[in-house]
Amino acid sequence: MEKKFAKLNYYEMLDLKPDATLFEIRHAYNVSLQLYQTDSLISYSFFSPEERKTIQDLLEKAYLTLINEKKRQDYDEELIRLGVLDETAKKPVVKTPVSVFDINRAQGKTGPIKNATVALRAKVIENQVISEILSREEVSGPDLQMIRKELAVPLEHIAQETKIRIDYLHGIEGDDVQALPATVFLKGFIKAYLKCLCLEPVDEICRRYMNRSAFCGGKA
Amino acid sequence: MAHIWPIGGGKGGSGKSFLTCALGRLLAGLGKKTLLIDLDLGAANLHTLLNIPYPAKSLSDFIRRKYPSLENIVLETPVPDLFLISGANDTLDIANLPYEQKIKTMRAIGKLNFDCILLDLGAGTSFNTLDFFLISQNGIFIATPEPTSIENVYRLIRSIYFRRIRQYFTASDFKALEEEAVQYFGNGAYAKPECIMQMVQRIYPETGIKLDNDFNNYKFKLILNQLHKQDDAGLGPQICKLIEKHLGLKIDFSGNIAYDEHVHDAICQRVSFLDRYPYTRTAGDLRELSKQIIYSAGDQLMINYS
Ligand SMILES: Nc1ncnc2c1ncn2[C@@H]1O[C@H](COP(=O)(O)OP(=O)(O)OP(=O)(O)O)[C@@H](O)[C@H]1O
Ligand SMILES: [Mg+2]
Repeated sequence: MEKKFAKLNYYEMLDLKPDATLFEIRHAYNVSLQLYQTDSLISYSFFSPEERKTIQDLLEKAYLTLINEKKRQDYDEELIRLGVLDETAKKPVVKTPVSVFDINRAQGKTGPIKNATVALRAKVIENQVISEILSREEVSGPDLQMIRKELAVPLEHIAQETKIRIDYLHGIEGDDVQALPATVFLKGFIKAYLKCLCLEPVDEICRRYMNRSAFCGGKA
Repeated sequence: MAHIWPIGGGKGGSGKSFLTCALGRLLAGLGKKTLLIDLDLGAANLHTLLNIPYPAKSLSDFIRRKYPSLENIVLETPVPDLFLISGANDTLDIANLPYEQKIKTMRAIGKLNFDCILLDLGAGTSFNTLDFFLISQNGIFIATPEPTSIENVYRLIRSIYFRRIRQYFTASDFKALEEEAVQYFGNGAYAKPECIMQMVQRIYPETGIKLDNDFNNYKFKLILNQLHKQDDAGLGPQICKLIEKHLGLKIDFSGNIAYDEHVHDAICQRVSFLDRYPYTRTAGDLRELSKQIIYSAGDQLMINYS
């Protein structure tokens, strides 16, 4: 049966539409990891260990291809060439300028995204380390980084979702004043970052980051 | 001609007999002339569930030619429009039902004059269970949300897939096909219908097309029974998806049936659960299911043996 599965294209393997966003791809990969893990009620008696391994390898390959912009483009072109994928199914990604304060974009559009948001919220509430950090008077860049790592969200994901340049994000987590934008932008960035991780209340946490005694904020 | 719904499940105790009975009562209640056939001959139960403790006639009377036709052994039940062919008092083990008898019985079932016929099949994957399951396109699989039950239902599904392929070939041709598959796919291919199917498509393309057609026309269903509150209600659709993705077989998920302690009470008191506890979640689930099933009847498909 792995033969049959192997004939599916990467989108089919992960149950994705050809225009899936990076967020959706990550989500789909997580779902499939759970489905095909050894102790899954659904699949444990369905596969032999070798079959399972083959499938997991295929899924990983699919994921690593789709998550990489260049590789995905090559792969899509291959599918289009083979007639598997319709060119129109891939909507060209229109890059429009977005306001840094437009921070609601990522939320509540489609099913998987909504579910992921719900899961993230639950994690935030349950996680001890995160609760401890959020109960402090001040929240530093490394604190934010620790929270993000507890939530297992890659920094590139935040960059993708918020459209904030990754070096700014590094600057925020590293308290690297040199790398930070002007204060007026910085506040917007912090809020977008917090929303992306479902950390609440956004304004209050942002204030605890900005108003630290040892922190002189971004450039004026 | 009647619509036939074979009900199988691999594992014992998953609720095949309870479900057959409950669906029978509901279909009869909708005014459909409904017949239940107890094909779990080694361990027949339906007569007890219907409160007919000593059935006057049973399937073995037909098989032993005491009665010439199946109509002769149909019993009335306390429920209007609901009839039973009992498997009780059988010294005969259906696993040993001779080939000719089985074909004869299957043909006779196909000719019966009812609106709906439900077949309660035994646990396990004996050839007879598989053949009776394949008597129509409407086979229903039933499992509980436990690893053991799911394991057995997968096994049953694979066996049925296998059996359908097997029905197109003589014993020697099929053996050759299996050997070919092992040559091609390696040792594991014996037990894998999907591997055999690929060999069929390669070596006997015409039969491959027929089989493809068969499998596309089947309207198999899966029901999960005895769901407890803490069970994942999304399990069924995921199981069906896995089967479709990896086996290429389409099975529709028909729904969950909640676990209810009163089922036990009703069976012990030999009363209809649906009548005694109509407002339970479980009774609601069953009613929903009966509607689904009646509206999605596929065509009949009698097996042609070579
Ligand atoms: N929805 C339910 N809620 C609670 N108990 C149930 C439910 N369905 C079935 N049961 C219980 O499971 C027991 C087994 O059911 P049943 O006899 O129908 O299984 P079966 O699949 O026909 O088994 P076998 O293969 O041995 O014939 C019943 O006695 C009943 O008590
Ligand atoms: Mg039974």
